[in-house]
Amino acid sequence: MVTPKYDVVVIGSGPAGATTARIAAEQGLLVLLCDKKQELGAPIQCSGAVSRHGLESAGVVPSDEFVLEAIYGFGVYNGAGESTILDYRQFKPDEYGEGEGRKPLGYVVDRRRFDRCLMTMAERAGVNVMLKTEALGYQPLPYGICEVRLLHFNEEIKVHARVVVGADGLQSQVGKWAGLRTQIKLTELASCLQFVVDKVETSGLLEIVTGHRWAPGGYAWVFPKGHGYAEIGLGVIRTMTAMNARQHLDVFIKQSFFRERFSDSRILEIQGGGVPLAAPLKTQYADNLLLVGDAARHVNPITGGGIHTALSGGVIAGIFLGSIIKAGIEPNKMNLKKYQDLWLEEMGNKMWQLYGVKKHIFATKDIVQRDDMLYRTMSDYFSPYSEYKKI
Amino acid sequence: MKPPVIFQIGWNACINCGACVAVCPQEAGFISDFDTIAVNRPCDIACMVCEDICPVSTITHYIESAFDNSNFGAFSPKFYNHDN
Ligand SMILES: Cc1cc2nc3c(=O)[nH]c(=O)nc-3n(C[C@H](O)[C@H](O)[C@H](O)COP(=O)(O)OP(=O)(O)OC[C@H]3O[C@@H](n4cnc5c(N)ncnc54)[C@H](O)[C@@H]3O)c2cc1C
Ligand code: SF4
Ligand code: SF4
Repeated sequence: MVTPKYDVVVIGSGPAGATTARIAAEQGLLVLLCDKKQELGAPIQCSGAVSRHGLESAGVVPSDEFVLEAIYGFGVYNGAGESTILDYRQFKPDEYGEGEGRKPLGYVVDRRRFDRCLMTMAERAGVNVMLKTEALGYQPLPYGICEVRLLHFNEEIKVHARVVVGADGLQSQVGKWAGLRTQIKLTELASCLQFVVDKVETSGLLEIVTGHRWAPGGYAWVFPKGHGYAEIGLGVIRTMTAMNARQHLDVFIKQSFFRERFSDSRILEIQGGGVPLAAPLKTQYADNLLLVGDAARHVNPITGGGIHTALSGGVIAGIFLGSIIKAGIEPNKMNLKKYQDLWLEEMGNKMWQLYGVKKHIFATKDIVQRDDMLYRTMSDYFSPYSEYKKI
Repeated sequence: MKPPVIFQIGWNACINCGACVAVCPQEAGFISDFDTIAVNRPCDIACMVCEDICPVSTITHYIESAFDNSNFGAFSPKFYNHDN
């Protein structure tokens, strides 16, 4: 059998992979996008909050297909329940709101529908998509190509590509294939659990609760989830607590200043995962290989948000691949380094800066002082007058 | 050097989140079909951070030497949680 040949094989069809694949195909490349799942985005491991700007800058039009609820601002709380409300409908009433000519600041999306929509966009751009297709390994070959081994409905397939893109998320193995050190330190991976609940009121704001008492090393959240539902969750750093995320969530629901508000809540779904509050990988490329999204630890180290950064990283990777492959440049390690340089310039340096802020906060031993720093940083971060450019 | 360990996952509680894999320093492929660390072979690193990160504490282990193949009938491994 003739081995199928592609310019690019993208492994993982989350926001990072589907966007990389779509943009690369729009540059005229022959692209294969594969995902081991049968239903993208499931089981859900994400709260789904993403800025409108994040979607639009990646060419994704907000749609009823995946939007669960529009978001207009933030409520940031300290451990005692004092708050900073940052409702953009009040800051800029002509720009943000529900009426004619006004827009939301962001959205909470259904990750199952969102990921499927991104995959469909890639497919419509000419990408060949294969579900139930797990990537098993890669091997660089002479003449600037590599062989990728895939398992599709139990059948092993080999394909040739110029570049394989690891967009395989938090538990990424693709980087490890090339010998990159990708594991996240226990001190930098927030262990998260969340419940989708009924009977908890929300008001179009993403609410964030800081404080060591509720979520050591991370924060708790209450997000609107559409249809009158909400999402209550938290992430903790396990080296800072003897309790697991589930136990902390139980305490937060039953004992925090929100306990009255949560008292009638009914759990509809249980979700969780790990959020890297870490620096981006120092090396995100190898011969015939590059990493994007969670696989490269492209996550905002202050907020833990990774959808916007995955989409943006996908755009950068797709455009870069188009330029080098069409120019006939060999995709060896040395030439693929330019992807990382570009990424650093466009967003990575900002992430490194945020990582420095985060490290400074959590290096503070005094809990009261640390709590105060986190509360103030979060409030500043989400303010319209923030010194941090939103990523 | 720590003795190699074999992991057991309480699948009823596991939410397939992959956090245990993300902190694991093992080489590529030390994973199960359910996005967890491998359960069908020993881990010789035994750093135990996979147990620590699990949001629902559903990973336990036993020390591989406690498993005596030659005397399977008498085998009764003691499962540990890292907190034990
Ligand atoms: C509890 C929780 C809440 C979160 N909330 C938010 C939030 O509100 N806002 C936000 O911006 N971010 C949030 N995040 C982070 C966000 O979910 C991730 O950063 C984002 O999903 C990263 O996208 P990705 O495309 O890099 O990876 P993923 O979305 O993880 O996609 C990776 C894909 O690769 C596939 N795959 C893996 N291995 C293979 C293989 N070998 N072969 C084939 N396919 C493979 C997987 O099946 C998956 O579809 C949250 C995370 C968690 C855990
Ligand atoms: S003990 Fe350490 S090396 Fe072994 S599986 Fe767990 S995290 Fe990986
Ligand atoms: S960390 Fe725990 S819940 Fe998550 S996949 Fe591993 S065993 Fe399952």
